[in-house]
Amino acid sequence: MATSLSTPAAKGFISTDPELAAVDASVRWPVLVSLLSAVHWMVVGTFLLVYASSLAHPQDAFPILGWFVDLSNNCSIFTYGRVWPAAIDALVYGWASTAGLGLAVWLLARMGRVPVALPGVLMTGVIFWNLGVAIGLTGIFLGDSTGTELLEFPTYAVWILWLAYALIAVCAVVTYLGRRPGCDHLSQAWLLVALFAFPWLYAAGNILLNSHPLPGSGVMQGLLGAWYVHGLYTLWLAPLGLGLLYYLIPKVSVQNIRYGSKAPLAFWTWLVFAPWTAVHDLVGGPFPAETVTTGLILSGLLFIPVALIGLNLIPTSLAGEEKHHDHGGVVLPFLTLAVVFFVATGISEQILSIRSANQLLRFTMFRECNQLLWIYGFFSFVVFGSMYYIVPRLLNFGWRSAFLVRVHYYSSLYGILLVIVMVGFGGVMQGFTLETPDSAVTIVTANQVTISFYIASTMCISLVSIGNGIFALHLGWMLLDWLKVRVRSNHLASEILLEPYEAPETASASREVSA
Amino acid sequence: MNLVPDFRTFFLFVLGSFAFAWFGLIVLPWMELGHLAPIKDEGSNDILPWDTANTAHQGEHVYAANGCAYCHTQQVRPTTSGADITRGWGSAKDDDGKDVTRRTYPRDYIWQHQVFLGNSRNGADLTNVAARFPDAAALYRYLYDPYVLNGHSSMPEYRFLFITRKISGLPSDDAVLLTGPDAPPAGYEVVPTAEAKSLVAYLLSLKKGYHLPDENGPVAATPAKS
Repeated sequence: MATSLSTPAAKGFISTDPELAAVDASVRWPVLVSLLSAVHWMVVGTFLLVYASSLAHPQDAFPILGWFVDLSNNCSIFTYGRVWPAAIDALVYGWASTAGLGLAVWLLARMGRVPVALPGVLMTGVIFWNLGVAIGLTGIFLGDSTGTELLEFPTYAVWILWLAYALIAVCAVVTYLGRRPGCDHLSQAWLLVALFAFPWLYAAGNILLNSHPLPGSGVMQGLLGAWYVHGLYTLWLAPLGLGLLYYLIPKVSVQNIRYGSKAPLAFWTWLVFAPWTAVHDLVGGPFPAETVTTGLILSGLLFIPVALIGLNLIPTSLAGEEKHHDHGGVVLPFLTLAVVFFVATGISEQILSIRSANQLLRFTMFRECNQLLWIYGFFSFVVFGSMYYIVPRLLNFGWRSAFLVRVHYYSSLYGILLVIVMVGFGGVMQGFTLETPDSAVTIVTANQVTISFYIASTMCISLVSIGNGIFALHLGWMLLDWLKVRVRSNHLASEILLEPYEAPETASASREVSA
Repeated sequence: MNLVPDFRTFFLFVLGSFAFAWFGLIVLPWMELGHLAPIKDEGSNDILPWDTANTAHQGEHVYAANGCAYCHTQQVRPTTSGADITRGWGSAKDDDGKDVTRRTYPRDYIWQHQVFLGNSRNGADLTNVAARFPDAAALYRYLYDPYVLNGHSSMPEYRFLFITRKISGLPSDDAVLLTGPDAPPAGYEVVPTAEAKSLVAYLLSLKKGYHLPDENGPVAATPAKS
């Protein structure tokens, strides 16, 4: 720890390996733009989520919100049914996907040890992607939402996202194909799966549900919708996040992956079982019983890849933290938590694949708990960890304050933990009320039960939003200082880097380990 | 851990795993559900399920745009897998005023352009909402202010679907009957917009007051053209 402290600040953050330094330099602008825009969408999405959540219960607990409620009652733009999907879409497409795409391209270039191919195309793609998200969200607010979960973006935004995705994916795959011989890594497989899965999901979902629904397709729309939503989490976000984790955890902790020989098994079993989690939204509904039963059995086997992935990554990460004391710097604690949340998400999916549990929780807040675990629990922590690692290397500039990192860490951690506990437990209570075999119990009874949990979850999501806001401000501060330094002279740059900003915890994150 | 020895082989394996889920979740169910035909009722000569009017289809867009499906489901599970029937969500009256209480079947949805099965029950199930709200006036009142009927409702007020305007000449036939604090000032009336009218037409079409032969077991597939 102490040995690594003295060097990075003096040398800067650029990788000591000239090949990797060249790779990082080649992706600097497109990846920075994608990460910054992702953080922007995170702030927008989190704000919308707090707002939507506060509309889901009477506002007595927050009298200050009365004004917002009046607004949502009288102005169609701010009604719950538009703000909620806008919030989730901003988080999934704006925050998670934008950051995921940027980081995937960076990682494919880095693991192949070649500069990114077609950086201009990549940059265009990132800009168009953001444009697509912005237009899509505007469309939802203006009443063009399609009303299909996670596919709410109107067709005119979908085409832009499609084009943007194609540009970014072409760039990523070309970079991968041009890799140095022998530069193969499990992470590449995870990232490629995500890059293949998204176009299939997005095309089939948008075409068959929104732009050209088959006439008389009836409940097939429900099946397609479930397949899309769960596919997006398990075949798009999960592989992107796991690709980053399988690369960054061994690298930052300077450990080999524990039980590494089981990693390919985890990979293939995940691909086969994970999409079947779609039936969690179908149990008891007007669908073929054999599809649901098959799906419950296959998604019930999800514990195999989840356990193997946990077994691969958690001990590796913990060994790294132990070896480097002080929790191994800034990056590792976030990545460790990301894996822990991944396992937690796996457990919640596992609960839903038990038929009786699913019957109880099917239409309750528990589904929200599962969704927030994917977005805020698992994926956000992957991106936070990755950004603490990569942004200093792209800018050759350190994070400003170890204190802010710590505040971000704890408010995000406790915020999301509390949200999950509140919404998960609330879901169980709501389920028991809705499933009471007494016809005197009505939806009003269930509303009375859920109110307190919704109020609590609004408060906890606010805590998450404080953490996210601090992260965004910290990033802004870092960029501002970096700009100041660029405008002035390089002499000052090294001075600022050596100033007390560069706290020990922050410095250790920059430790460069050969691949 | 070289998982990608040969790009093409890897790609084929990944494609295979995607296709496995696609086949099981989409293709096989489509073969069973994709060509469900309406059925002619022997006794009444009704075509089942009941047809949906055009204004109701326009209402589907309003239902989608304002995100009703995020809190309301439109599916009734059988008694073996949920208490939906006990909650009264499966009950409607048929043309003769007799009670029909049952789960929903895939055939119930074949006329709807967009199907809103829903995944959350913050609100009540709407499969038979028309059976609980007898007329448009009651639904307009509920959309304007849910708290009047249900003090614990978490449903937003949809006042933007209505216009408060000065009465010129005779009051409108459509004017919403509002009392108490919601009542418009004297000389004014609250009328539904075209959006509200199509939404209410859609909601009033949601009623399953008929029996399907599916209730007695699987129905032999009928050719789509019949």
